[in-house]
Amino acid sequence: MKVKRNLGWLVLLLFIALFPVTLGRISPYYNTVLILVGIYVILAVSLDLLIGFAGQISVGHAAFFALGAYTSGILTAKHSLSPSIALLCGLFVSGLVAWGIGRAVLRLKGYYLAMATLGLNAVIVKLITGFASITGGASGLLNIPPFKIFGLTLQDHTYYYYFVWGIVILVMICCLALTQSPFGSALIAIHSDEEAAGTLGIDCPKYKLHVFVISSMLAGVAGSLFAHFMGFIAPDDFDIFTSILILVMPFLGGIGTIYGAALGAAFLKLLPEVTYRFQNYELFFHGLILILVLIFMPKGLLGILTNVKNRLLGSKYLLNPSSLGTDR
Amino acid sequence: MHDEASRNSQVDGKHLLWVDNITKSFSGLTALLDVSFGIERGHIKALIGPNGAGKTTLLNVISGILSPDSGHVYYRGKDLTRLRPHEIAAQGLSRTFQLVRLFRANNAKVLDNLMIGAHLKLKPSFVKSLFLRGTIRHQDRVVLETAYEKLRFVGLERTVGDTSPSSLPFGNQRLLEIARALMSEPEMLLLDEPASGLNDAEVEDFKKLLLAVKEKGMTILLVEHNMKLVMDVADEIVVLDFGRKLAEGNCDEISCNRKVIEAYLGSDYANIAGGNHSG
Repeated sequence: MKVKRNLGWLVLLLFIALFPVTLGRISPYYNTVLILVGIYVILAVSLDLLIGFAGQISVGHAAFFALGAYTSGILTAKHSLSPSIALLCGLFVSGLVAWGIGRAVLRLKGYYLAMATLGLNAVIVKLITGFASITGGASGLLNIPPFKIFGLTLQDHTYYYYFVWGIVILVMICCLALTQSPFGSALIAIHSDEEAAGTLGIDCPKYKLHVFVISSMLAGVAGSLFAHFMGFIAPDDFDIFTSILILVMPFLGGIGTIYGAALGAAFLKLLPEVTYRFQNYELFFHGLILILVLIFMPKGLLGILTNVKNRLLGSKYLLNPSSLGTDR
Repeated sequence: MHDEASRNSQVDGKHLLWVDNITKSFSGLTALLDVSFGIERGHIKALIGPNGAGKTTLLNVISGILSPDSGHVYYRGKDLTRLRPHEIAAQGLSRTFQLVRLFRANNAKVLDNLMIGAHLKLKPSFVKSLFLRGTIRHQDRVVLETAYEKLRFVGLERTVGDTSPSSLPFGNQRLLEIARALMSEPEMLLLDEPASGLNDAEVEDFKKLLLAVKEKGMTILLVEHNMKLVMDVADEIVVLDFGRKLAEGNCDEISCNRKVIEAYLGSDYANIAGGNHSG
């Protein structure tokens, strides 16, 4: 049972570990694509905590992505701080901003919360453009050094690939631990019915704030990884379209399942690698595939995989429900 | 000043919960006007009255979902009036809702609902979830056992923990909600029309459940329309009508009370009082 349950993880880890020395060696370009996939997996998974579990819709996740990227970028490019410390600063700044505005913003519900986070995204992008002397303004922030850890510069994309995916796996484990614990259950209660959750002793504002801060800190980490990978960042990288892209990922993969969000991120980031072959029709096919998935797969890509798995293994789980009670 | 003194004597005395001069209006419409009454520890008190009398509003005020315009709610002598719902729950008051409100987001299962009910005992935090996995696993085992115990207690021992609450028959959903409310081992239960929508046999089982809860030493405030159930289990009854307290007393006093009969029970009730008339 235990081995079987972890089989998926083993295959995935093996694939991630072997990719650069096999397929990645043939065309190194794919290493860089997969680094971006990893960064977006962090973004999508962290947003899934907030939307899929706590039910708080944010359309401004790129704001915290930007805060992490710019904090890390400015500290390393202009103040030559070590990137690993800058990454922690990016995480801290994103979390701090989320904490500062969270209590006010999270009083809003549903569409209003979506509007407020959308506004936040616009404000952050405007501030970055406005403070040009610090951030480089609309023309972007240049000369961000590559990541360095223990004196080892990860200039080679293969090394950076392993570093990013190491963090991705750490983030996945943290998010799974959070959601498969009473903390996650409390979030689901808030998602279902805040009033009822309150009468069971759940301090809804507190838990909403905590998950907002955690989600934003993870986006900050993704931002920092992004900045050191690109070496150059501009406000355009973090505009509302980026937020919407991040928002689509968990819905595409299967909202409220950490794995689904990761799958959605990978799918959406890899899709252009296929559709670019259609050249002029690239956007058409990109949109068409998205629409088809969203219409015909309401449980997302993960829902299909689960269906296929159940069909292959037979739905023996359903025949022996008593064993499931202790499966937590 | 003497008002304060009399209040304290009421609060410190045998009453576990004391509702003191509660007034609540919604944009000019008075839902509750100067309602006061107390519940003795270990008793079942029924709150009855016609639709729109303010019964649910009063439960919402007690559980902190609404705050009253004036008046106070004392629980074990402590003023609950300005506390938020989760703080009131932490004092040991648990409630259910008129329309069953089980958690269903993210495919939440029967067991998840019970786990969430244990929130006050678990006091989860993200720090614990990330760094104290051993504690979490241990807690899970303990809570799981409590969950099955509560399911047995309310008579849902044949329910599979891994099913969706929506797949349960309506009566069982109500029982599950009560099991969820019991997970935190509350001292007092507030039940909002728990027998509505139940058939006669289910009401009979439910009556036994209420008495078993009382047997365990819990205090119950029961909002209910089923007069047979009320007469069978309640130690005292308080009657609301148009937001005012109409009468208060034991079952015999209430079933003979002329005002109550006129406003709520119906004139033919006096003749068959104690019979199986449901209001």
